[in-house]
Amino acid sequence: MENSASIADEKTINDLLPQKFGKWGKIWVGILVAICLVGMFAYYRQLRYGLVVTSMRDYASWGIYISNFVFFVAISLVGSLITAVFRLAGVQWSTPLTRIAEVIAVAAIIFASIIIIVDMGSPERFYFLVLYGRVQSPIIWDVIVISTYFFISILLLYYPLLPDIKILLRFKENTGKRLYKFYGFIGSFWKGTARQKKISEKAINILCITIIPVAFSIHTVTSWLFATTYRPGWDSTNFGAYFIAGAFLVGAGAVVVAMYVFRKADHLEKYITEDHFEKMGRILVLLALLYLYFNVNEFLTPYFKMKESERAYLNGLFTGDFAPVFWFAILVGMILPIIILLFKKGRKPLPVFIVGIMVVVGAWFKRYLIVTPTLLHPFLPMHDVPASYRHYFPSWEEWAITMGSLAGVCLVITVLTRIFPIIPIQETLNEQHETAA
Amino acid sequence: MKPLHKILTLLLFLTLALSGYNGFSQVAEKGDLNITINYYIINNQLPHLMVKVTTKVNGKFQNVAGIGVKLFLDKDSTGTFIGNAVTNEKGEAFSYIPPSVKKEWGTSVKHTFLATFGGNSKYSAAKADMTVAKAKILIDVSSDKTVTASVFEMKDTTWTPVKGVDVVLAMKRMDADLLINEKPTFTTDSTGKASGDFKRDSIPGGATGNITLVAKIVDNDQYGNLVIEKTVPWGVKFIPVNTFNKRTLFATRNKAPIWLLFVAYSIAISVWGILIFLVFSVFRIKKLGEEAHTSGN
Repeated sequence: MENSASIADEKTINDLLPQKFGKWGKIWVGILVAICLVGMFAYYRQLRYGLVVTSMRDYASWGIYISNFVFFVAISLVGSLITAVFRLAGVQWSTPLTRIAEVIAVAAIIFASIIIIVDMGSPERFYFLVLYGRVQSPIIWDVIVISTYFFISILLLYYPLLPDIKILLRFKENTGKRLYKFYGFIGSFWKGTARQKKISEKAINILCITIIPVAFSIHTVTSWLFATTYRPGWDSTNFGAYFIAGAFLVGAGAVVVAMYVFRKADHLEKYITEDHFEKMGRILVLLALLYLYFNVNEFLTPYFKMKESERAYLNGLFTGDFAPVFWFAILVGMILPIIILLFKKGRKPLPVFIVGIMVVVGAWFKRYLIVTPTLLHPFLPMHDVPASYRHYFPSWEEWAITMGSLAGVCLVITVLTRIFPIIPIQETLNEQHETAA
Repeated sequence: MKPLHKILTLLLFLTLALSGYNGFSQVAEKGDLNITINYYIINNQLPHLMVKVTTKVNGKFQNVAGIGVKLFLDKDSTGTFIGNAVTNEKGEAFSYIPPSVKKEWGTSVKHTFLATFGGNSKYSAAKADMTVAKAKILIDVSSDKTVTASVFEMKDTTWTPVKGVDVVLAMKRMDADLLINEKPTFTTDSTGKASGDFKRDSIPGGATGNITLVAKIVDNDQYGNLVIEKTVPWGVKFIPVNTFNKRTLFATRNKAPIWLLFVAYSIAISVWGILIFLVFSVFRIKKLGEEAHTSGN
């Protein structure tokens, strides 16, 4: 009996060990690296010639970079949802998803930090921000919470990894020499003693509790970057909750996309089951309904009042230049996902995956709509501004850097999943033992 | 036969199309424009003209924008051409008297300005004229806060005082001029002077206490609009107290409110204290692992 259990354990371990890149994996990494290189070249041009290479001018002084930053911050919130909230709520089925969520969170928060430095123009301005920053400024609050959240995410990724590192160290022949050395450096001391487990569990619990307010802060503060600025569309007390609802939605969307991809690529159908998609589908529909509710609040009341100062902005969104993007974000990012996921057939892996993509793409455009239309409609327009100030369409450098950052996030996720097991091995084994008992 | 048939059909079609165009399009009746000319001299500097163009719609005058008006001095000819001016959304167009008509300007003490509009698809041609005499206005004050305006007209080659001209004595404020006392206008005497007592005490006069007095002749049939200004220290010094830095968080770094510093640093220290503890826990786990390894050996 014991022998069969050990065979089953070895089978599970073999299933969940990180896989070397196959042909398609290498092509995938190659494409991502190429996009990143183009982005780096565009960034070189931005450093060389200044922010003038972008389409940002005095009106739209925040463009696609800040939209991307808000998107990354939003997507990073999923770490706290899947790992912390589910863990504290005693949700057992989420175990195979925790590492996916944490890896996405770490990758997204890294690039959120990078893209904000890109937006500053000269990177040394970040140094000045640290030296001369004012504690009254929401930008400083953002710097503090992002760095804190990054550190917590790293710890939350690291602690549950320790038992898995012990397992990985057993497979020296499968691991490259350098990777083996790396595993040894970060986790060879884990022996799985009772005291070690106790400290680790306590640390994970503390992290799960700590990450929730920090995660809420990071997105609330990001929303305050807008809401504390007196502009049409941003002058809202609803913004913190509105941003958090949107962040949970896009984060959950990203997780279901990643679940599907890893399930297919690493043949994890046994561990990431249809039931996981069913449950994540239910969570997604709930979050989409919640976010739709906030959107109704955010747009219906200003539309009802139609203040003169906000008229051009609102008409631009509903029927003007931004209407196609606005209705795309609402329909594809919220309403269609809700309709699809309300049906049981819609919560099968493939439909959930498609809905996940719709949610993520819709969310990206939604962030663009939060930033740009407002800036193009100031309360006090400048007199006789050049035509280029009144419109904003990102330059190729902005697109390249943005695409580079999106590819960078995918690359970090890919590399982390090459190094570490995407499903926690030890936790899966423990659950299997508990089920068997 | 066949090509002829085609040509006839084409001609018939063309005829119908052209007649249809005329038949369906009704020749719209052109509107009439009302043009008025206003003449201004401010602080006895370069004179300028303001042309106002209106039209009557449903019994009400409405401003007409985009009307190009040609302005002439005394006669409608190239040598006396002042310039083209196009009306804005208020139906107003402006033009200075250019140096090119200096010679014509010097030939007489009275001049007639002509404004002509050639007509377009919506409005018929229109024109207007206005005659003004060369005049100037001066302003003076005395220590007992009496404001005196003097009006002179150019007669032959000398400035001659003018009697019986209504002058407004006021001071400039942000949106409109405020009269120096209750009297709306003062009439010049035989010396061309009109005086009024300044009775507006406690008027805020900026940081220096200065206010700008203004004497003006408004829409006078003979002289147009003449304005003269003079700055006097008769206002109350106004030192603005800006409480912005006290009531907003957007103050400079060293003016951060203590409660904010306390809250922000408390949160940061608490959270980072926990994180440092957790990093320390990693080292504890490491130490326990090394101990277990040693005892295992």
